[in-house]
Amino acid sequence: MSNRLLDRQVRLLEYLSSAGILFGEEADMPADPALQGIDRALLRLEARSACNRRIEKVLALFPRTFDFLGSDRKLILREFIEVSQPTTMNSIANGRQFSEFLVARWHLKPPTPAYLPDVAACELAIAEVRNVADEKLQPMGNTCDGPKRNIRRRRTAVPQRCYYDIRSIFDIGFGGLDPPKRETRLVVTLPAGICNPQILEVSPTVFDLLTLLDDWTDPNTLGTINNLENLLGDLSAQAFIEVES
Amino acid sequence: MRSLSPAVGIGYRSAIDEWTRAHLGDFDVLEITLDAYLGGGRGVRSAIYDLVGRIPLTAHGIGLSIGTDAPLDEGYLDEIAETIERLKPQAYSEHLAFTRVPHQDLATLLPLPKTEAVAADVIAKAQYVQSRVPVPFLLENISYLFDWPDSTLSDADFLNLIFGETQAGLLLDLENLLLNSHNHRFNPYEFLDSLTPGIVKEIHLAGGMSIDEDGLARPCLVDSHSHPVPDEALDLLEYALTRHAPANIIIERDARFDAVSELLDDIARVRARLANTVGNFHVQSTFGSAG
Repeated sequence: MSNRLLDRQVRLLEYLSSAGILFGEEADMPADPALQGIDRALLRLEARSACNRRIEKVLALFPRTFDFLGSDRKLILREFIEVSQPTTMNSIANGRQFSEFLVARWHLKPPTPAYLPDVAACELAIAEVRNVADEKLQPMGNTCDGPKRNIRRRRTAVPQRCYYDIRSIFDIGFGGLDPPKRETRLVVTLPAGICNPQILEVSPTVFDLLTLLDDWTDPNTLGTINNLENLLGDLSAQAFIEVES
Repeated sequence: MRSLSPAVGIGYRSAIDEWTRAHLGDFDVLEITLDAYLGGGRGVRSAIYDLVGRIPLTAHGIGLSIGTDAPLDEGYLDEIAETIERLKPQAYSEHLAFTRVPHQDLATLLPLPKTEAVAADVIAKAQYVQSRVPVPFLLENISYLFDWPDSTLSDADFLNLIFGETQAGLLLDLENLLLNSHNHRFNPYEFLDSLTPGIVKEIHLAGGMSIDEDGLARPCLVDSHSHPVPDEALDLLEYALTRHAPANIIIERDARFDAVSELLDDIARVRARLANTVGNFHVQSTFGSAG
């Protein structure tokens, strides 16, 4: 056994985040020599406390999703803990991990209701736009003057394609009528000066353009899009895109 | 020498931002959690930045993990240094603990083996942090449920060794001291007597709770930051103030925000205790020189 402290710290964190200790099955686990002499009951308490804090972060980001999960909530959280190690204290990063877990799980076993993936995806998008730090606001200016500068989608405008029109769930909440099945192109956005993110439906053209603008892009390379100049002006006015300074 | 009373305030939390602003006049100081700023969106950041110049700030971190047996995260330290430049707090405090190892972060404060070798490692890292931030660096005693079996030093000896070598200050969390003394059966007043006089630069207070589970030898007190500060912690405060002159006393609250007005009662109770003790100590300066 290595006596190096880092090795023991690694073993301790592995133990404290293992499903065995969290779900009371550590009696079946072999005793780790690196942790010999440490009270297991106290380690279990420490593990549960840390896990609960992580789950609270996830619950805070996906309130509607968890409403719909109902009695499956406990099982799903357990599966999440089993497959997804804690790698960061950051809330949004834990939210992304949970979202990835849900996507993988629902790929194998589609959930009920069927629109739940859309709800979860929009909740993550809301968390993402809330998490964006200060942006330097640059007006588009007169697009006819001089060489055009690169543009990109603002981090506070997240395009989200949904298979149901789930906006009513965010307006009214859990317990209303099932949303209609209709492919919907949404932008989750948090314009400057606004406290709560907005969920807006956009046209296929706007949606496709925004998805092209993940990174800084020369607008001259977008030339095949009809009426591009006006479209970019509209997107700038809605704070969907920004200009490289 | 002049007689000074410590500043009394609370830990700023965005969940009670509105309430905090409405009661700003009730506090002498606010403690900002740097990781909330770093991990927050523009709403959180602008709310914190808006406090600069309106009330004295002190900065607290939870993500440094100074006790991990690996090099410090330079990127994280860069962000901390940059944020300190921006928010201009009086001091920067962290925990004498580890929370993560490479590729895994439990985001919970875990104890270190209290040995001379571990102290030497912490000393080197604390000195490096001091060279990176332009304000005094403090380390906080954590509450711990378990101890490493190879610990050879007492809590106080471990702290004295580190603070003697680094000239960093101790952020003395009296709730953590109270919980540790209960859970690990030692006398908290003897602990205070054993600390090198003058090393305490800030104090934390909070209210915890008791947990009893199958398998535990007896109920454990845990640092939940959820309840009013217990009288026993205020007794320790009075005693600590006879030997130390902290610049700030911060009350921490992270739960039961529906009962947030309890914080005002806590502030009043702390000030009443200060009124008992303020004539008994003198302060040369709140914080020593930075770095």
